[in-house]
Amino acid sequence: MRNIKDLIQDEHFKLLTFLITSARGCVDEPHLYGPLRLVDAASKLIKIMKQEGKTVDELDRILAMIEEKKHLVMYDEKEFIKFLDELVAELVKIVKSA
Amino acid sequence: MVDVLEAIKGRRSVREFRDGRIPDDHLMTVLEAAIWAPSGSNAQPWEFVVVRSRDTIEKIKLFSPGLFGDPDALVVLCVNKERVKGRGPKELVAVMDIAMAAQNMMLAAYSLGIGSCPIASFNKTAVKELLNIPEHVDPILMVSLGYPEKWPEPPRRRPLEEVVHHEKY
Repeated sequence: MRNIKDLIQDEHFKLLTFLITSARGCVDEPHLYGPLRLVDAASKLIKIMKQEGKTVDELDRILAMIEEKKHLVMYDEKEFIKFLDELVAELVKIVKSA
Repeated sequence: MVDVLEAIKGRRSVREFRDGRIPDDHLMTVLEAAIWAPSGSNAQPWEFVVVRSRDTIEKIKLFSPGLFGDPDALVVLCVNKERVKGRGPKELVAVMDIAMAAQNMMLAAYSLGIGSCPIASFNKTAVKELLNIPEHVDPILMVSLGYPEKWPEPPRRRPLEEVVHHEKY
């Protein structure tokens, strides 16, 4: 079994704490912070997949889109929702091409 | 140092930081700006926990979904409830005091070329436990500090004509 010091540096564990803490935070936060936390978690997950050599160029593009546009939630609600639609469209392309 | 209005208009919420250690005296200037904020009944209900240890910042990040980037320092702004006890409905006023102290900090930081971001999205219970914050002290807000990777563009402001009401609403 791994020790605790290793565990808290593990990217999966970091994602786990992010998800649970976000779940509690979303109870009191603005409703669009829910989608923000989810795409932020998706970004963290893609980074883990990258480290494990599991990504493809298309997924890297999604990561870049998230990093570029996730903060729109703070400035432009409409554009943020449009960006979420774009992300889904990109995912569909990946799945359809399989 | 920059003009006050220039600092007010130039400050941005910075969420990407480059490497670079903030000199201790600059950090103290930022904290000194905080203690000169106004406070209801001059209660000065604030306590500031300054975190510079990379290890501790990483632990706090685990419980702070609103903390983006890798700041050089974190300041956790807390209300000392003992200082507002017996002063009537002061909880809300104390939170406003913290907000004013935070704004002072961020403007002072900007004037020194330091980026900052106010963060309310963190788990207060977890941060309290990690930093050994006593029962009668509540963390309210965090401010991340560091040198910006870039200064973000200014977001749109609601125009004066929309928000200012002269003489009556």
